[in-house]
Amino acid sequence: MSDGFVLLNLNLFWPVLIGCLVLLGFFVWKEWPQKGQTRFWIKIGIAFIGLVSLFFILLKPAAPKETTSGRAIILTEGYKTQQLDSLKKVFKRIKSETYVQGKSLSIAENVDSLFLVGYGLPEYDVWLLEGKSVQFLGGERLSGWTQISHTDELELGEELKVRGQYQQPQKEHWAVLKDNGRNPLDSIQFGDTEEQLIQFATQPKASGHFVYHLEEKNADGEVVASEPIPFVVEDREPLHILILNTFPTFESKYLKNYLAEKGHQVLVRSQLTKNKYKFEYFNRDPQPIYQLSKQALEAFDLLIFDVESYVNLSRTVSTALKESMVENGLGIFIQPSGSLFTLSKNQLPIGFNADFNTDISLGNPPQGLRKYPFAFQQEFPVQPIQMDSTTIAAYLPQGKGKMGTSLLQNTFQLVLDGKLDPYTAIWTEILDALVPQQEKSASWKMETDIPRVDEPATFWVQSSKSPMEVETETKIKIPLLQDVSIPSLWNGIQYPRKEGWNQFQIPADSTSLFSYYVFGENERTTVSHQNVYEQNLRRFGQNKSSNTIVSATSKKMEPILPLWFFVPFLLSMGWLWLEPKL
Amino acid sequence: MEQLQHFKSRWQRFQYVECALYAVGFGGLVYLLTKNIGLGLAGFTVAFGIALVLYKPWKIKTESVIAYVDAHVPEAGFSSGLLTLPTDQLSNLSLLQRHRIAERLKDLMPKLMPPHHLQKAALMMFGLILIGALGRFVFGDVSNLSSKKGNDKEQIQFAPLDSIQEGVEIPELTETKISVAYPGYTGLPSLNTSNPNIKAVEGTQITWNLIFDGDVKEVTMDRMGELIRFTKNGAQYQLSQTLQSSGFYSFTFKDLEGNAYVTDLYSFEVTPDNPPMIEITDLDQYSYFDFNDDKTIPLNTQIFDDYGVNDAFIVATVSKGSGESVKFREETLQFDGSISKGSKQQHLKKQLDLAQLKMDPGDELYFYVEAQDNRTPTPNIARSETYFAVIRDTVTDEFAVEGNLGVDLMPDYFRSQRQLIIDTEKLIQERPDISEYDFKFRSNELGFDQKSLRLKYGQFMGDETELQAAPGQVSAVEEETHTDEDGEEKDVLDGYSHKHDSENEHNLVVENPEEDEEEEEDPLHEYLHNHSDPEESTLFEKSLKTQLRDALDIMWDAELYLRLYQPEKSLPYQYQALEIIQTIKNSARIYVHRIGFDPPPIKEETRLTGDIQNIKNVDKNKSFEYEMSFAATRKMVARLEVLIDGTSQFMESDNALVLEAGNELAQKAIFEPVKYLKVLQGLRDLEKTSNRTTEMYVQVQKNILSVLPNVESNPGKGANSLDEINLLYLKELGNYE
Repeated sequence: MSDGFVLLNLNLFWPVLIGCLVLLGFFVWKEWPQKGQTRFWIKIGIAFIGLVSLFFILLKPAAPKETTSGRAIILTEGYKTQQLDSLKKVFKRIKSETYVQGKSLSIAENVDSLFLVGYGLPEYDVWLLEGKSVQFLGGERLSGWTQISHTDELELGEELKVRGQYQQPQKEHWAVLKDNGRNPLDSIQFGDTEEQLIQFATQPKASGHFVYHLEEKNADGEVVASEPIPFVVEDREPLHILILNTFPTFESKYLKNYLAEKGHQVLVRSQLTKNKYKFEYFNRDPQPIYQLSKQALEAFDLLIFDVESYVNLSRTVSTALKESMVENGLGIFIQPSGSLFTLSKNQLPIGFNADFNTDISLGNPPQGLRKYPFAFQQEFPVQPIQMDSTTIAAYLPQGKGKMGTSLLQNTFQLVLDGKLDPYTAIWTEILDALVPQQEKSASWKMETDIPRVDEPATFWVQSSKSPMEVETETKIKIPLLQDVSIPSLWNGIQYPRKEGWNQFQIPADSTSLFSYYVFGENERTTVSHQNVYEQNLRRFGQNKSSNTIVSATSKKMEPILPLWFFVPFLLSMGWLWLEPKL
Repeated sequence: MEQLQHFKSRWQRFQYVECALYAVGFGGLVYLLTKNIGLGLAGFTVAFGIALVLYKPWKIKTESVIAYVDAHVPEAGFSSGLLTLPTDQLSNLSLLQRHRIAERLKDLMPKLMPPHHLQKAALMMFGLILIGALGRFVFGDVSNLSSKKGNDKEQIQFAPLDSIQEGVEIPELTETKISVAYPGYTGLPSLNTSNPNIKAVEGTQITWNLIFDGDVKEVTMDRMGELIRFTKNGAQYQLSQTLQSSGFYSFTFKDLEGNAYVTDLYSFEVTPDNPPMIEITDLDQYSYFDFNDDKTIPLNTQIFDDYGVNDAFIVATVSKGSGESVKFREETLQFDGSISKGSKQQHLKKQLDLAQLKMDPGDELYFYVEAQDNRTPTPNIARSETYFAVIRDTVTDEFAVEGNLGVDLMPDYFRSQRQLIIDTEKLIQERPDISEYDFKFRSNELGFDQKSLRLKYGQFMGDETELQAAPGQVSAVEEETHTDEDGEEKDVLDGYSHKHDSENEHNLVVENPEEDEEEEEDPLHEYLHNHSDPEESTLFEKSLKTQLRDALDIMWDAELYLRLYQPEKSLPYQYQALEIIQTIKNSARIYVHRIGFDPPPIKEETRLTGDIQNIKNVDKNKSFEYEMSFAATRKMVARLEVLIDGTSQFMESDNALVLEAGNELAQKAIFEPVKYLKVLQGLRDLEKTSNRTTEMYVQVQKNILSVLPNVESNPGKGANSLDEINLLYLKELGNYE
């Protein structure tokens, strides 16, 4: 009894014991006349057995037993029925409950060991299983888009890149990228594989908030599924550029013409002779610049030098330049010439290696171009600027600003040949990398991958404002939590009310508008399943085989079946009744 | 008797009515199905006729009347036949019976109905009409639908531009007639249509006739922003336009209250009249013949044109000689057989006989086929490629300068001195045979040729020709040009190059109006030998230069006598000039054409002093209006996205945007009207309030996106934010070095 046996009705122990003893006494008294015969002893013995049985019937002894009552199964979306069946086979009468979003799991309160089948619980509901031992068993294999990632914010002229992963694609189905007017832009046909990776790139044609669509079509061209690709395209500001040359070059001439025609503010200063310059003003006030001071440079985003101008800078000007770069984010581009590659590391912190290669081919169709026979040394802070994965230029970050140069020679030849497109592409690539970004008052990040209506969407906002406030487009303020280590970082949770574009804003700051897209119920389902599955896998680990589970805390007292006592009781009572009649 | 007659006529009437009922039923059916009253009436008559033929009511006989009466009226006692018989033929008994029956029938007959199927006929009629009505109901929907579709496409429809107050009666366009009269030469019959999207040949005359019910103040046509009014011609409004270029148009009319109504946008599409296509078959571009070959070229030509070929001929040019003495002769040859004017395809042949063209060994023939179509007023002209035929010379001698000379310095393309001598001698020889006028004319012509030759050689001398200004003027002019030009845009060579290479080779005489002017300005120039200007140095050696100068002087004399109609006196000078030129030619000097930049004259006193005090900075200020291509259209796309989203309503400012986007696209649309028509129509529809629906926005946006080109790449400044962490990182990166 001590090792494991427990009487469930222990409070009845004494009354029952006394009652039984009284009964035993009654039996003894009743049979007393036959005392001395063996019959007497037999009868007393049998009565005793009967009474002991009765005693146990009433007191309900229980033995410790490995039970299934401490376990339960939580069914989430995508569970396999055979998995459930085999679980039920192993653990008889195991209870299960289906997870419904927004409802607490009643079953979890009574048990401490849970089997989680299906794709798992969403991140925000994982707390329901806190403190329980959870076996995550996974679910059906996903079929469909398991990953869709794309640029969600870009500038007009940049490419929108869409990548996707499709599990178990059907052969001869198509993935088609369509624009917001549902004009097809690009497509790919699924192959005969387990997993199809797709990658599309397209250039949006206008700025604003758009939703493109990634559609899946079957062989007959019918749309099977459609996933939204929401993104924001922003306009770009024209640049303020200063070009300083010790003598006029064709390279500068064509570059300045190109930039001026594109609406940028360009000031070109070419030296004619000592202290005599030719100033050219494009799209700006005719305000000459002689001395490069920090104040004077504030008006410019980008400074283009030839090597001679750069080398001959005075010490004060050099410091001013450096400060402008570090603090104001000025970009500097040094037009390469032969002497550039002989500069010491002190003069120019970008190193070169001779590669004796004077030709380079860029673009599509490939466009041959001359280059200096050098390559950039690949040192840590130096960042390459690449076009078609060929390094054409490199820059060195200097605080907020950048300083760069290129290897290309006589790019103006492209203009002369009438190949304006590669020319603009090259220079857009180089200058884009060097120009500073306009500073925004706040930066936002939606942490929840797929925000949905009535589900919590976590976001971060970073702004120097303090105290910080954020409101939705309906002017409802959202409580924020300040980050401990970074005081400008704030965290908030919003439960979106409607599908489509939603906005956050810092009150009284119209530039701080942040738009995020709330997905519909049937959008990105497989992707969310995949995400939820991965999250659950990370949290609970995965144990595919349910037989090897050892649960630490699931022993429970099980009452011994009363039949075991009732039968001897009945037999003994029967014997006592039958014996006198024989 | 009378009663029987009455009965008979009643019977007949019943039958007629029955026929009429059937006919009405059938006619009604036809009418309801076809909606054409004429067809309905025809159906009625036909059915009536058939029914009459079947029933033949007029054929009802008295006997059948009697039989019917006997059968149906027991009182008649099977004796009604007696009533028809004349009384005098009857026996007394019969008379009695007749009398009795007559008495009885008098009351009964009017009540007796003749046999008829009026109910059946009426039922039939109603049934047929019902079927017709049902049919109309069923098919009406279908035909309505199709006619509606057709309307959109093929009929001009007006919609009010603004929402108008209720109760205003909208004048309706009842009839549209568009007659398309193709230009006469195309031979196409003119076309009457109601489809306002017109595709026709250039020059087609299009006339619109619009008839309105209701009063209309004015009707105008908006043709790519150009407003043209219709003229009122009785009840109809008329406008005629000649189709010159592709484009769009729409109509607007105003009712009496000034409400404007506008149509959709319709397109003109001009199909140009292509020039004829010439195909020369089985002929190599170059044919070579030897002296003793059969020198004929079979020329087979096929000429196609879309509306008809009007004329075709061969233009052949024979060149004789080479080098200085090359001579050209151009001839126009007709094909064998006549050309059937106006036919779309012609097969023409010609056997070109080189001997007939008076070609000798060494001569070359260039020929091509030229064809004109029948377009008016100016025909399209097409030329084939040029083909060459050469008779190989038996001997070739080429002028060659000595081995150390790489450049053949003498130009080939003007009449040589030798040629002039030959021509002068010929003139002298022919003098007795030609008229005085002719002689003088030719002499003068030779004088002119002599002048051209002199000028040409003069150019080799440097500036001492009429091509340049007098030395005194040079610096002034150049200074002026150099101060205000920025040295980039202008071709620096312009002033220094002799552009004779670009001129017509056949034009052997260089005649530049500017030269003459300058000649007038400075008559002395020709007579001056100005060597003082260092810039005028030529590349010839001194002796050579004097030699050439002598030759030029002698040429002067030669020209003088030719101009005085004394070729004999001119001839010795010409020989002299020829001799000198020959020596110069043979003196084996290289001459490089002078090119390059002529700097402005330098002031001696400032030269090489290095004083730049008075030199000023050069300022250049320029602004470019840069607008991204289709900027408004791109904005429109974004705006439509917002409108589709439903977060905003169509506003007044959007109208301006629509207009702007429309203008941008219309500029493109001129070249490809069909591609852009849908887009423009959509944008235009947005101007009407009734069309501002989400579906419409989606449609318009889709169409815009499908024609919008990509953004050109342009560097720019985007927005980003730098937080403390990033700044910290950048700072650390700076320290890293």
